[in-house]
Amino acid sequence: MSRTSPAALATSVGRRYRSGLHETRTAAWLGVALGVAFGVCFLTGVWSHLAQDPPSWFTYPARPAGLYRVTQGVHVVTGTATIPLLLAKLWVVHPRLVEWPPARSVLHAVERAALLPLVGGALFLVVSGTANVARWYPWTFFFPRAHFWAAWITIGALVVHTGAKVGATRDVLRSPARTTSPGPATPGADDEVPMDAPVTTVGATPGDRRAFLVGVAAASGVLAVATAGGTVSPLDRFSVLAQRRPGVGPQGLPVNKTAVGARVVELARSPDYRLVIEGERAERCELTLADLRAQPQHEATLPIACVEGWSASARWRGVRVRDLVALAGVDASRAVTVESLQPSGLYRASELNPQQVADPDTLLALEIDGRVLHIDHGYPARLIGPNRPGVAQTKWVARLVVR
Amino acid sequence: MTASGLPATTSRRGLAWGLALGLPVLGYGLRGVAIDAARTHPAELARWVVGAAVVNDLVLIPAAIAVGWTARRLVPSRAWAAVRGGLLATGALALVAWPFVRGYGRDPANPSLLPRNYGAGLVAAVIVVWTVVGSVLVVAEIRARGRRRGQCR
Ligand code: HEM
Repeated sequence: MSRTSPAALATSVGRRYRSGLHETRTAAWLGVALGVAFGVCFLTGVWSHLAQDPPSWFTYPARPAGLYRVTQGVHVVTGTATIPLLLAKLWVVHPRLVEWPPARSVLHAVERAALLPLVGGALFLVVSGTANVARWYPWTFFFPRAHFWAAWITIGALVVHTGAKVGATRDVLRSPARTTSPGPATPGADDEVPMDAPVTTVGATPGDRRAFLVGVAAASGVLAVATAGGTVSPLDRFSVLAQRRPGVGPQGLPVNKTAVGARVVELARSPDYRLVIEGERAERCELTLADLRAQPQHEATLPIACVEGWSASARWRGVRVRDLVALAGVDASRAVTVESLQPSGLYRASELNPQQVADPDTLLALEIDGRVLHIDHGYPARLIGPNRPGVAQTKWVARLVVR
Repeated sequence: MTASGLPATTSRRGLAWGLALGLPVLGYGLRGVAIDAARTHPAELARWVVGAAVVNDLVLIPAAIAVGWTARRLVPSRAWAAVRGGLLATGALALVAWPFVRGYGRDPANPSLLPRNYGAGLVAAVIVVWTVVGSVLVVAEIRARGRRRGQCR
């Protein structure tokens, strides 16, 4: 049996953390920043979920056209920029791990138990998000669902933690910072754990704290710039970790799913291609590519805004979806399912709500920037509409089903 | 330790509110994982969440502490704050860059995906970071000398 008590051991381990930054004030500042960052990611993430999988009580708006590109760009860039913040926070509070006793009361045990979904969840969100942007899937679950539900778990745990710490955070951030240094973190009494001592006896100097927080903010800024260029094109030169480059791709536009990957090459090039419009209330019609070209054509400048955070604008030309629906004798007040030639795949079909169907810029596009669509952009015809995630801009469209 | 059996930084009322508001949200997430089990693979997801916390607490942060401990002894204390910021930025860049540099997600059919040389990009970014750290230190040093001279004369 060991002669040292666990409490003494915990205290002695706690003392090995020599930096004064393992203190409440720094933890609180980083906590506030993390709260804002996770809040932004959560709201934009839920928004993206509503765009792709809207519940019956919610109508996802067709406008403003560039909204989704902004919300999703913010989501991915903020999430990436949060990594240094999160690592800094977890370094600052690391001495807490070895507290003894591990729980002082039932309530304390509950508070600490909620740290596992908080810390594990927060790390999982940034790790899985980054891996997904790099198209690396070292797991078998379906990323969007795992990430989405893990976000609810993490935010729930964050609300618990914020409640627990909001009082200390407010006190600490309101009270003036000390101006003299107490030296390295040395708890006053033997039975004290460093982090638990009042902030006024243990901690960093204001100058060191400021320098540390500035360093963390700068590291976050570096990561933001390193990834944002996929959607903020002037940053392209500096965004050495962006998944895409604006202008790189067939016809100057990046591609997500290729025709080869979707196994549609033959079907898309076949002279037998027909667009079918049907539905319970519609008169079934079939149009050849020549028929589509003979319809009134409209132009719209709209972005492809990928869920993975990149976006790029192009000038599209084609037939309004509402005109096509009208050909089948239906007015634009109905929802439409847009189906691809793709034989399978989660994203082979997408939904247009009545607002989106009615929008004059919701097109079945045949051309991009004045040229016939490249097959990787959905030749012979693709859906393009305002304020939609890229995965819902169905390519190689074969069927419109009026609901 | 406080009389309430909670750490000094935890407020009992705040925690009660946090539990009242946060647990339903957390529960909604757990329910979602369970209902969507065919796509969320709950056991694997749990391994990832717990594994992330364990790897962070037992590997990543201790490694950061070791690096910091070593670097602290090699670097003059005036320079430490800037160097620490540089180390954090370098570490975070390297972690994020890892799957890009390895190119796990490359698709030969789709050259527009992951089109950059990410290894070279990482090196360039790290050079920029340390150039900034160096410039900050030079400026601070010049200022400090100016101040010292000002005091002497
Ligand atoms: C994703 C976000 C966050 C994570 C992962 C996180 C993580 C942690 C962890 C692990 C601890 C140590 C707790 C213990 O062992 O007792 C802690 C402490 C703390 N957190 Fe957070 N936190 C986050 C957000 C926040 C927010 C939003 C606030 C502000 C309202 C905050 C304020 C604090 C404070 C004041 C402490 C106490 C430090 C001390 O005991 O001296 N945190 N945090």
